[in-house]
Amino acid sequence: MSKTYANSNKPQRSYGQLFRFVPYIIAALLWVVLALHEHYFLAKVENLSVFLFDWQYFREAISIPGGFLGVAGSFFTQFLHLPWLGSLIWAVMLLMVYQLTVKAFNIPGQLRALAILPAALLVIGNMHLGYGIFIMREQDHFFAPTLGYMASLIPVFASNRSNNYGIKALILTVWTIAGFLLLGTFALAGTLTAALMVLSDSGASRKNRITTLLCGVALILLVPLVSYNFFTSYRLADSWNLGLPTISEDLCTRAIRTPIWLALLFMPVMALASPWLRERGKKTYIQALIYFISIAAVWGFWFKDDNFHTELAMSEAVDRFDWQKVVDIFLDAQESGVKSDAKAYQARTRKLEGVKDQNTVKEIVEQYQDRFFEPTRTMVLYRDLALLKMNRALDESFTMKDGGRPQKTLTHIPMTFQSGKQFYLQYGLVNMSYRWCLEDVIEHSWSYGTLKYMAMHCIIMQESEFAHKYLNKLEKTLFYRKWAKEQRPLSTDSLLMSAAQPYQSILPYMCFEDRMTNDMVKTETFLMRHFTEPEPPNPTPEYDRAALLWAMRIQNIPLFWQRLYLYINSNKVVELPRSVQEAALLYSKLEKGGFELPYSKEVENSYDSFNRFVQANPIRDMNESSYPYCKKFGKTFYYFYYFIRNLKTY
Amino acid sequence: MRRITIPALVLMVAACTPKAPSSYDTTGSIPGIFPDYTDVTIPRNIAPLNFMIEDGADSYITVLKSESAEVTIKGDEVRIPKSKWNRLTDAPLITVQVYGRKDGRWSAYAPFSMTVSDEIDPYISYRIIPVAVESYEKLTLRQRDITSFKEKVFVSNTMIQDNAHGTCINCHHYQNGDTDNMMFHVRQYKGGTILVLDGKMHKVNMKTDSTISAGVYPSWHPTHDYIALSNNWTHQSVHAASHDKLEVIDENNDIILYSTRDNTVSVIENDSSELECYPGWSADGRTLYYVSAHYEAPFGPDRENQIFLDRKQLHFNLYSKSFNPETRVWGKKQLIYDAVARDSSMTWPRTCPDGRWMVCCVSTHGIFPLDQIASDFVIYDLKDNSYRYADEINSPFAESYHCWSSNGKWLMFSTRREDGLHTRLYFSHIDENGHFSKPFALPQRDPDFNREYLYAFNIPEFMKKPIRIPARQFASFISSTDPIPSKYESKKGE
Repeated sequence: MSKTYANSNKPQRSYGQLFRFVPYIIAALLWVVLALHEHYFLAKVENLSVFLFDWQYFREAISIPGGFLGVAGSFFTQFLHLPWLGSLIWAVMLLMVYQLTVKAFNIPGQLRALAILPAALLVIGNMHLGYGIFIMREQDHFFAPTLGYMASLIPVFASNRSNNYGIKALILTVWTIAGFLLLGTFALAGTLTAALMVLSDSGASRKNRITTLLCGVALILLVPLVSYNFFTSYRLADSWNLGLPTISEDLCTRAIRTPIWLALLFMPVMALASPWLRERGKKTYIQALIYFISIAAVWGFWFKDDNFHTELAMSEAVDRFDWQKVVDIFLDAQESGVKSDAKAYQARTRKLEGVKDQNTVKEIVEQYQDRFFEPTRTMVLYRDLALLKMNRALDESFTMKDGGRPQKTLTHIPMTFQSGKQFYLQYGLVNMSYRWCLEDVIEHSWSYGTLKYMAMHCIIMQESEFAHKYLNKLEKTLFYRKWAKEQRPLSTDSLLMSAAQPYQSILPYMCFEDRMTNDMVKTETFLMRHFTEPEPPNPTPEYDRAALLWAMRIQNIPLFWQRLYLYINSNKVVELPRSVQEAALLYSKLEKGGFELPYSKEVENSYDSFNRFVQANPIRDMNESSYPYCKKFGKTFYYFYYFIRNLKTY
Repeated sequence: MRRITIPALVLMVAACTPKAPSSYDTTGSIPGIFPDYTDVTIPRNIAPLNFMIEDGADSYITVLKSESAEVTIKGDEVRIPKSKWNRLTDAPLITVQVYGRKDGRWSAYAPFSMTVSDEIDPYISYRIIPVAVESYEKLTLRQRDITSFKEKVFVSNTMIQDNAHGTCINCHHYQNGDTDNMMFHVRQYKGGTILVLDGKMHKVNMKTDSTISAGVYPSWHPTHDYIALSNNWTHQSVHAASHDKLEVIDENNDIILYSTRDNTVSVIENDSSELECYPGWSADGRTLYYVSAHYEAPFGPDRENQIFLDRKQLHFNLYSKSFNPETRVWGKKQLIYDAVARDSSMTWPRTCPDGRWMVCCVSTHGIFPLDQIASDFVIYDLKDNSYRYADEINSPFAESYHCWSSNGKWLMFSTRREDGLHTRLYFSHIDENGHFSKPFALPQRDPDFNREYLYAFNIPEFMKKPIRIPARQFASFISSTDPIPSKYESKKGE
């Protein structure tokens, strides 16, 4: 069959020949963008997945049709540990998707650009996920659809090799049965495509075409139905969705599956359309148009939220306990917001010129609010955690930007799912951290990150048998083996453990007494409650610093004085950090009296200057005034006290 | 050609068959093995007790010998072929001799033994559950043929729930281990209690206007068509800093009697100042044992928080109550174990089928022994109501749900002794004096299974025969059937 059209594959113009290189250039560009710009995203995808060289893991994974594809997907996902390598593998796979598509459907040279569409859809499938990666049920989603697509072309190639329709039917049958067990839905897409290829084959008799199509359709319907009797891990209704990525919400599941469904749909459409296409499509501009649309679609759907990327980078640094890096990443994000803030302010000022009506002002201000840099609560909490770990929080936390920019997501992802285990572990709430690891495992799946945190939890609690369980698993991985081996001795030697990081910096926070807790999936609120509850019997200096920081954050004046007293005592403070002085001075003025503290001259001057500025620049709308105030007083506690309010945690 | 080949093959096989070393030193100690099967008493129909040898030697040879057979296995992983194991267990005693080679020299460890004793029910069932607080994404009820390694899922929540609606499955239970009369609960999506009566499935809703919840912890009457169940309003909370991770507390409990014949519910105990739970019938079905804690706090939104704060003061006494199964008339409650006076808490009374012994869990406080490291077993001699701590089967970690075999010779229980968190199943033989043998772990094909497996075994129950209804049939029935509401009936007697 393929011989008939062999000549039409030859490009006929030199322009057309140039287009042959476009997919390679796009793949190379994609690799560069992924490796340079999305390496934290890729690393997080890897961190949320797991592949174990372990029979038990394999057996469990293949207990569902399509499970093998998941195992294969997870196998390749582990290489995202080195984002440059993982992204290179993926870029090569996408090129293979292109090449195999061209070959399978015998796409003529002038229309080869069409073969980039499934690859583009697969890229969209991964790169539009954003926060969705935190709630994926299975964490093989990055490579599995690409592998599934490529594998689903096997029956097309296999049946093309024979002109005997009996053999074609046999191939389809064997493929559907074996393929469904290994690849789930992807195999069914392959069956349908191969059957439609025969249907559109002008060389085949009508009887053969209809018989093969009916055979294919019957296999697609019957194989999942029969398979259901041999498995106990899914609903009958899900039989035709197996192997596709899933999120714990229906709406999002549909959203994440759409590009993959479209990529799969491309195959049967091409099967039907390829003979027709071979007759047409001589115009070069069509190729250019397809490439342009593909690239534009990928760019359009690519999740580009800067805060999301900053969170991922900070999260990675938190996992490495590189606290300075955490702060640096935050400062970089803040710095990059300076220019955009100025531009947004200018544009907004122009728009506000002459506007007197208060409601219109509010409306305009709200319109422009998104253009100003504002960190998410997760970023603020990561930064504060890092500053506390370096004993710089009370000096620097209030000198940096604050806020509560919502996530740009289709569905709300609680901070607890995203970073709860990190905060809880680092603040010594180890059982809560462990709890969220467990929930994570059940709601989603095992992951390198979860196994690591579970092991750390057990090590700090000196539950050695328990720790070994997780370390054993990590020793069966490619990239975490070394870490697990290093941790093993710490699980049985409390002295060794207490001198090692991160345990050394966590233990001082574990000075509170046991009590029953529940965070109701609100990590920040829970931490706030934890650090503002009555003082534990033997607080450490680290605990008192955190408790004072939280007292300042919630702007509770009586609690501030109480925590300040405890902080001064336990930390043997000689000179109060500047933000603390500012808070104390402000509160003492607000309370018209308060405590006599040795305020520095600079603090007193800045307070006076703030008051003068307030009188000179009356506030019409808090959001409107926040930029000029922030520019002048953004590094003071006064600004935080008056402007950072009504934050919504999540 | 054939004449040469066959002897050659025989020679090759013979050369590959391991043999005990002819010369060796002796060590006075028994080898470290996992699971610990040294000097245990085992049922004659149990699956091979595969184990790992972990004693730091370079290689091992193990010789298992009984009057009826001898098996030699090379390597640190001792996997005993089923046919050879069956021959070994034909005799009353198996001795195990392990040889270890280190630095080129063989040493013989001190031998250990396995005493072969009474038969055990050939099937058990349990729930496989991830260790978690609130999530229940993947739960399965499974049956295992304990004479081999065959395991089968009979209910899976993944066959019922959809992406947006979760389903919990729990508390499977049988009448005297007979799988033709069995039950389990389905909660949340497609919820109801599934009853199999004489092999036929039914779905009922035991929650009535006069009871506080649907049925929870069951105990099927040994001779009549009744199931005693607790009603529970359960909450859980995480320990902020403790080796105990979780605390499960009931805000309110009662006990009800469900009649499987006429689908009616009647109250057994519902004192508003008492938290009554864990009903368990005596062997003759004429006494119901249960536990109860006195607790007075106003019902309302603060009661949940209050009860968590008061959790250390929740001491569950053990009570009994006589019952006439023909007339359904109850007697007065009698205190058996005063937990308040002993500053402890008793749960899960389970009576041996011959009526002589009862085993309960005892902990410091509260109602959920599974999550309390301090939980241990006590055994009651029901002849004179004397009790003692069953120290021969207790461990430093939590002991919890237990079940008697139908011949009353074996106790199967769940315990966290291996790592402190993942519940595993152990068995122990009881002699005529009420003494337990050293417990042994449920044998697995892969001897390292218990250490590697990241799920917990929950609610182990003996079964005399396997469940015949396939998982897909259960799933289809649960998904397509609405529960029939139970009718409320007033209590009789006292």
